Amino acid sequence: MEEQSDVPRRVRVTAPRTAARATGASFPVAREMAEQSEVGQLFVESLIRSQLRLALVVAGGFLVILIGIPVLLTVFPDIDGVTVLTVPVPWLLLGLGVYPLVIGCAVLYVRSAARNERRFQDLVDDD
Amino acid sequence: MTDALDDGLLQLSPAVGYTALVLVSLSTVLIGIYGLRISRTTGDFYVASRTVRPWWNASAIGGEYLSAASFLGIAGLILVSGVDALWFPIGYTAGYLMLLLFVAAPLRRSGAYTIPDFAQARLDSLLVRRVTSLLVVVVGWLYIVPQLHGAALTVRITTGLPAWAGPLAVVVVVCLSVVTGGMRSITFVQAFQYWLKLTALAVPVAFILFRLGTDGGAVTAGGSAFTADLDTAADASLYGTISLVIALLFGTLGLPHVLVRFYTNPDGASARRTTLIVLGLLSVFYLFPTVYGILGRIHTPELAAAGAADATVLLLPGRIFDGATGDLLSALVTAGAFAAFLSTTSGLVVSLAGVVSQEFFHGSVRGFRSAALLSAVVPLGVALMTDSLALAGSVGSVFAFTASTICPLLLLGIWWRGLTDAGAIAGMLTGAVLCGGAITATALLGPGAGERWVWLGQPALWTVPAAFLTMVLVSRATAGRRPASASRVLARLHTPEPR
Repeated sequence: MEEQSDVPRRVRVTAPRTAARATGASFPVAREMAEQSEVGQLFVESLIRSQLRLALVVAGGFLVILIGIPVLLTVFPDIDGVTVLTVPVPWLLLGLGVYPLVIGCAVLYVRSAARNERRFQDLVDDD
Repeated sequence: MTDALDDGLLQLSPAVGYTALVLVSLSTVLIGIYGLRISRTTGDFYVASRTVRPWWNASAIGGEYLSAASFLGIAGLILVSGVDALWFPIGYTAGYLMLLLFVAAPLRRSGAYTIPDFAQARLDSLLVRRVTSLLVVVVGWLYIVPQLHGAALTVRITTGLPAWAGPLAVVVVVCLSVVTGGMRSITFVQAFQYWLKLTALAVPVAFILFRLGTDGGAVTAGGSAFTADLDTAADASLYGTISLVIALLFGTLGLPHVLVRFYTNPDGASARRTTLIVLGLLSVFYLFPTVYGILGRIHTPELAAAGAADATVLLLPGRIFDGATGDLLSALVTAGAFAAFLSTTSGLVVSLAGVVSQEFFHGSVRGFRSAALLSAVVPLGVALMTDSLALAGSVGSVFAFTASTICPLLLLGIWWRGLTDAGAIAGMLTGAVLCGGAITATALLGPGAGERWVWLGQPALWTVPAAFLTMVLVSRATAGRRPASASRVLARLHTPEPR
């Protein structure tokens, strides 16, 4: 049927329907890896594990520091009296100090996650 | 608040307000119509066909995310509760860090349009899809209501019109721009509105600090702006602070209008880059409401007693400057505030319309338009029937609710092979019942209940773990129901796109 006409048939593009299968779009590497080769599946599993470990380490570190701030302020309420240019330290920490920490964690994560993916792609290409 | 407003004590000159509102509405609709010319397909309507550049996209995410609670609510909360209020902007920003770490790239690769699409693709179950759709719609509606309350407050203060005028104006403008242009034009509108909001806060604050600096006026009044004596609310307990941070951090993950934005990135890696830019944009933005709040503690402290603390940002420029300069700066902050309600509401309406139209209207363009109307009109009704609470607080409970329902579904769905449809539904319902119950109980017990029973007022610290635990335990018990496609879907979520 395809050979009979040069003009491709019009295809109606719609969002995935309620009853339709939403999975199964072609993702050659992922599919081949997961379905066809056992070695491939191992590669994918180790990629997921290393990405999860990375995310948990960064999130854990960030949360410990962040929740550490109110804990410290509760344990040592005297910190409240320490000021820099009339601004008390808790205001400085919470109003300014946390944001560079957030961005630092984010940059660290984006770099490491991309490195994990490059390593995976190199393995796949060698295979 | 009502009395002080009715007496006209807190009003600006109406001409200023009208000019600002008309200019913002016009530019929003114009950019929406300009966008219409390039939005043709169903894909354009839903997710801008996934071809929006990281900077545009990040500005759009920022524009959409910075809501009434950010623009007005944070300064108001600083006025009332001092240093404890600073946790709100931290939570709103760090929520994007959690999004980046756990959700951004995999969700983009999932190829789904909405959270219910993702749930169905991952768990292969129509029932999970239905439950998720229901929760997404509830969350969206709950989140639109405070935006409309913010609009009511702003329009009353700036124009003196009755309280229903603000919400109605927001809903009309949003429906016009969403119904005509869909997601593509909304992306331009939102990106424009981030920069508008930033300018609207930054320029007046620069003027104010310059004037106070040259005249020797009080900026922090020698540090007395920071003393807890100025707080009218009780200090937050350690439990309350941690629970709030958990709600804000993990609630961002599940907000429907935040998630839908990630589908407009071309691939997983660019979804990460976009999120990184968003973190920068948010960090810069939140410095300004903080400064307004601190200045407000010295220059507009009576607003806290009047119960109109959320008006600090709107009224502060007029307190420092008289005449034309004061009017111009007031017009600018008013414009920014209106942009905040417009952009968050339209973002929510677009994402809700996406969910509702696929559930009930077969995902066509016309269905999307009907669904958009439906998504905006219901919260309008609720907003008109209810009274405004403190903006930052009411948005905080929506975050707790998403953190207890949609967040566990996404995190476990993306990272854990063992999740089953039964586990997902049980977990989401547990979270919804516990957290929804706590929020309702706090509301029914009346003002002050959230402070007296802080575990009820800030429920996230126990409802989020409860939802996760239920999801894991029920999934373990029903391990036979694991979808056969789980490995394949997970591989697709986490493997990089072919280069």
